Amino acid sequence: MKHAFPSALAVVTLLLASLLMAPPATAHHSFAAEYDSHDLITLTGVITEVDWTNPHTYVHVNVKDAAGKVTDWALEGYPPNTLKRTGFARAALKEGDTITITAYKSKDGSHTGAGREITFADGSKKFLGPEGR
Amino acid sequence: MKLVIAATALCTGLVQAQAQAPQAPGRGMTQAAQPTGPVVHHPIPRTADGKPDLTGTWQSGGVSITGEAGAPPIHPLPPIDAHPIKREPLAYKPEYDAKRKSLTTLDDPTLECLLPGVPRIQTEPMPLEIVQTPKEVVILYESFRAWRRIPINAKLEHPDDLTPTWMGDSVGRWEGDTLVVDTVGFNDKTWIAGNGTIHSEKMHVLERYTLNDDGSMSWAATVDDPVVLTKPYSTGAVFRAPIDVRVEEYECIENNPDPGHMKKAAELEKSKK
Repeated sequence: MKHAFPSALAVVTLLLASLLMAPPATAHHSFAAEYDSHDLITLTGVITEVDWTNPHTYVHVNVKDAAGKVTDWALEGYPPNTLKRTGFARAALKEGDTITITAYKSKDGSHTGAGREITFADGSKKFLGPEGR
Repeated sequence: MKLVIAATALCTGLVQAQAQAPQAPGRGMTQAAQPTGPVVHHPIPRTADGKPDLTGTWQSGGVSITGEAGAPPIHPLPPIDAHPIKREPLAYKPEYDAKRKSLTTLDDPTLECLLPGVPRIQTEPMPLEIVQTPKEVVILYESFRAWRRIPINAKLEHPDDLTPTWMGDSVGRWEGDTLVVDTVGFNDKTWIAGNGTIHSEKMHVLERYTLNDDGSMSWAATVDDPVVLTKPYSTGAVFRAPIDVRVEEYECIENNPDPGHMKKAAELEKSKK
């Protein structure tokens, strides 16, 4: 479907929106102090554990590299209530399932990140957390 | 013309209402969509005693009601009128400005899941529920599982035995169709509006809650602090009442590894310099 949106208008509204969106999307911590919004990585692995907890959810994924070495990554997401309201049920994450997830890498060098978009085995996609900023 | 309308709407807090775009989830960038129809006006709801009825679950913004950028919202909201928000910047006395600038997000009390205080809690990206009786108004916040009890008191008198607290002591009165809430008795540990925005125990917050006839609620707050500020700070937001959204539990301290990661990231950053 084509958008009936003039590009100049889109640009202006985007600029205004970025300037005027007062409420931060994360409730309790600064994104930039923990994650690098310029370092978006893509990981494919097996879900080993899900923390459906506050203030953030975490999806733990075992990722195997080319040499066969397995690393456990913990990817942070929105709080459970926010995920639920955006149509992301706890049941969507099953231990043992293989997913692909994009994430902004943690600045502390650990195998953690701010999860962004999960692609499930059937090709469907859901956002786990916010766009980097 | 369209451009002017869209820009005006965005400037006046309609951003939350318009994050609809005909795009598949996860594709593309942020686009503010056009309103989905005309603004519907109707008389504001009133309680048996004739006061505006603020009862309900409200939210000023956040992904859970607006949906992701580029994706249709899960809880679509009808278009509303433009409601101007009066904003005055924070103006610190020099000695407090220096202290403010020395603070970082690592010092943020909410990072440790401590209460955000007032007015900061109002625009957290989670809903709040207002419960109203003739004698008191209670606000239940999903964020930080906080609550405020606001007894109705025509003289806006506070108890004389207050000890400083995170959320302060609130009293309210009706001025016409506006609920005016006066809050004092704060500790000096919360931030007013984000990074390093310190205040003293003398902070005084005056809020105004007004229902609009398009189904939204305007909230305005003025913060005065004779110790740290040179003039009052003003902020506000437009709240919407999405259907099928209710306040739920949020136990922030349950699983909070963020402070550890952030401290380590800050140390790494320092060691590089």
